[in-house]
Amino acid sequence: MEPVLSLRNITKVYPGVMALDNVSIDFMPGEVHALLGENGAGKSTLIKVISGAISPNKGEIVVNGTSYKKLTPLESRTAGIEVIYQEFNLIDSLSAAENICFGTRYGHLVDFKKMNEISRKLFEQFKIDIDPAAIVENMTPAHKQIVEIAKSVSKNCRILIMDEPSAPLTVDEVGIMFDIVRRLKAQGVTIIYISHRLEEIFEIADRVSILRDGRYITTKQVKDTDRADLINLMVGRTLNSNYPKRSSPIGSEALRIEHFYGNGDKDISLTVHKGEILGLAGLVGAGRTELARLIFGADRRARGDIYLDGRKASIHSSFDAISQGIGLIPEDRKQQGCFLEQAIEWNIAFNNIRNLSKNGIVNRAQARQVGEEYGKALSIKCSSLSEDVKNLSGGNQQKVVIAKTLATNSKVIIFDEPTRGIDVGAKQEIYMLMNDLAAKGIGIIMITSDMEELLGMSDRIIVLSEGKLSGELTRDQFSQNAVLDLASR
Amino acid sequence: MKKNLSSIIQKYTMLIVFLALVAVFSLIKHEFFSITNFKNILTQQAYVIIASMGLAFVMISGGMDLSVGYQMSLVGVITSISMMWAKLPVAAAVLIGLATGIVLGIFNAFATIKLKVHPLIVTLGTMTIFEGISYIISHSNPIFNLPVSFKFLGQGQIFGIPVCVIIMAVIVLIASFILNRTYFGRYVYALGSNEEAAHLAGVNVNLIKVLIFAICSFFVAISSILLTARSGSATSAIGVGTEFTCMTAAVLGGVSFKGGSGKVSGVVIGVLILGVLSSGMQIIGLGTYPQYIAKGVVLLAAIGLDNYQKDSKMREAEKRIGA
Repeated sequence: MEPVLSLRNITKVYPGVMALDNVSIDFMPGEVHALLGENGAGKSTLIKVISGAISPNKGEIVVNGTSYKKLTPLESRTAGIEVIYQEFNLIDSLSAAENICFGTRYGHLVDFKKMNEISRKLFEQFKIDIDPAAIVENMTPAHKQIVEIAKSVSKNCRILIMDEPSAPLTVDEVGIMFDIVRRLKAQGVTIIYISHRLEEIFEIADRVSILRDGRYITTKQVKDTDRADLINLMVGRTLNSNYPKRSSPIGSEALRIEHFYGNGDKDISLTVHKGEILGLAGLVGAGRTELARLIFGADRRARGDIYLDGRKASIHSSFDAISQGIGLIPEDRKQQGCFLEQAIEWNIAFNNIRNLSKNGIVNRAQARQVGEEYGKALSIKCSSLSEDVKNLSGGNQQKVVIAKTLATNSKVIIFDEPTRGIDVGAKQEIYMLMNDLAAKGIGIIMITSDMEELLGMSDRIIVLSEGKLSGELTRDQFSQNAVLDLASR
Repeated sequence: MKKNLSSIIQKYTMLIVFLALVAVFSLIKHEFFSITNFKNILTQQAYVIIASMGLAFVMISGGMDLSVGYQMSLVGVITSISMMWAKLPVAAAVLIGLATGIVLGIFNAFATIKLKVHPLIVTLGTMTIFEGISYIISHSNPIFNLPVSFKFLGQGQIFGIPVCVIIMAVIVLIASFILNRTYFGRYVYALGSNEEAAHLAGVNVNLIKVLIFAICSFFVAISSILLTARSGSATSAIGVGTEFTCMTAAVLGGVSFKGGSGKVSGVVIGVLILGVLSSGMQIIGLGTYPQYIAKGVVLLAAIGLDNYQKDSKMREAEKRIGA
């Protein structure tokens, strides 16, 4: 049997990172083919190449017997490739039928009857009861997804790519979605199924291909593999153990949270000790940043108690958090961490501005001094402290954000993806910095998706999965497999 | 299904509000509840309803047109000048006025597309351009003594029904037909709801935008001609500020600022609510300025309600996923 879609030697390079490295995969007609890989393994990039959203630097795409160096979105759709993204691409104010038939014209005037009929037939095929005239806006995510699937089918798609389709669904709805997938399979449609939920792959997929760090690892028949095997394949790399060694003692409790609920997180309890680096791991969407925001008071928690230094604390806003010694280095330094258009010294002084002001007037000299002190301590490379932050390199921008938090004399600091988008040299500097802070007795929570960084820097690791605490690992239990296993439960 | 109910309630809410206002004012002053008065209100609001139809197209598609008022000013002036100074027949002058409107609309569309900026900002700029042109052309002087046959459009009656009301009814029906029964109309909703999805589905977004602005300005031009005809004379001040009344009416009627939703019937009721408010307040003796306050409060309340509904839908969705 000929593959319906063949990817051969696909390579995609972005400045500084090899998103896809010589990836070759064959997709067969009428199969459910799962695509598996960690955060950043290259799944999204691969899908974008197939759908024509981006072009590969090297390689070819063979679909329906024709070879392409790159695809335009139109060519991809004409070839019968349809993608259902996590966020859905529907027009909310129109009906299901109108969405399904959108783009095709049946006559001069809108023929609601015909569109409803076409949609009704599709829904019958799926054995789902949805009113074709119902407005999409009011539908449950499950029904919206079915409308999306129906839309793809109405365009005679031969290859349907589903990106984390079960994310917005309840358990029962997932079952219904699987029935539809099986029906499509019976009609000869190829389904490329991306999900990090291993149980789903074992239930619905025929074959599974694994990507790791942009490279294609292998393809296996689902019946010939198991959970442990897949996890092994996803992470099996040799670890770079180039992380600054630490031997500072770990003290008493610095921060403890109990039964935190909010932002999609449920019943999270954890403790960070003085001088400890607690790694917080989990897949994208597991709820780590959400938890950080709850601890920091940036978002209101529904339930939960927080204890600082063993004593119950009242934290209901980031102001409370900062004044009681909790600091947050946000995930997106440009959007959330610093003020790009302002000077470095302005940024560094900002979180602490009240203490640098008397009667509401800022003591500029004092602010500048604080800026100099921290600029030197963190070796921020700049021509002068009055330079705008936007002109700094990523690494130095991150240092400004860290300086901003340090200037408030924090006792607990949450780092959310501290070295994302930073070059190797600057990364090392930030690791040393974190070690110094820990040595001073500051408790650190480090959220990171970088497995090596996680295992190299943490004293202890807590893993979140889908908003819940999945497990804890002590140093002797550290392994990539263990982390990923807990993260994908 | 619950949400379906609440949006149905919203549509009928405005109808209920309208009827309640009529009832209240009628109770305070019996004169309010008379055919003459209702005919007056309709006649007065006819031009607003027509302009609102035009603005509704723009708003449903997710855009905004602040230049409506000065478009009316410019079209009124040009139409009148064609009749009075160029001595053209009324029919020709009206056609020139309509053509001017379409040109202004296309100008707005091109500016929005080329500058890649939200039409709110773009029309903030074009509105002053139109203002300047209008005052220059009219030399800041009113144009009196418009021909009787022209004034008939705004002041005349056919079988007892004011001509402007007939024209308004026709426009409302046309607008409703376009929005509901034509592909173009559905694309207007699509653009307001999810422009990217429409684009990916093969809709020529730029072309649709040009058509939307052209239609808006065409209706606005008709509105201006009727208003000028009713006033009997043209000045550059005519129609100025209409956009705010239209916006308020649209939001009252269920057109969201974000775009993608709204019905013609809702907009009509929105205008009528404002019209009844205005007329009622006048009949019970309140001057113009208290009416401004009332209008402003109503707009804030309408926006607040709009946001509240969007928020509660968000919260419903989040609750579901959290479950």
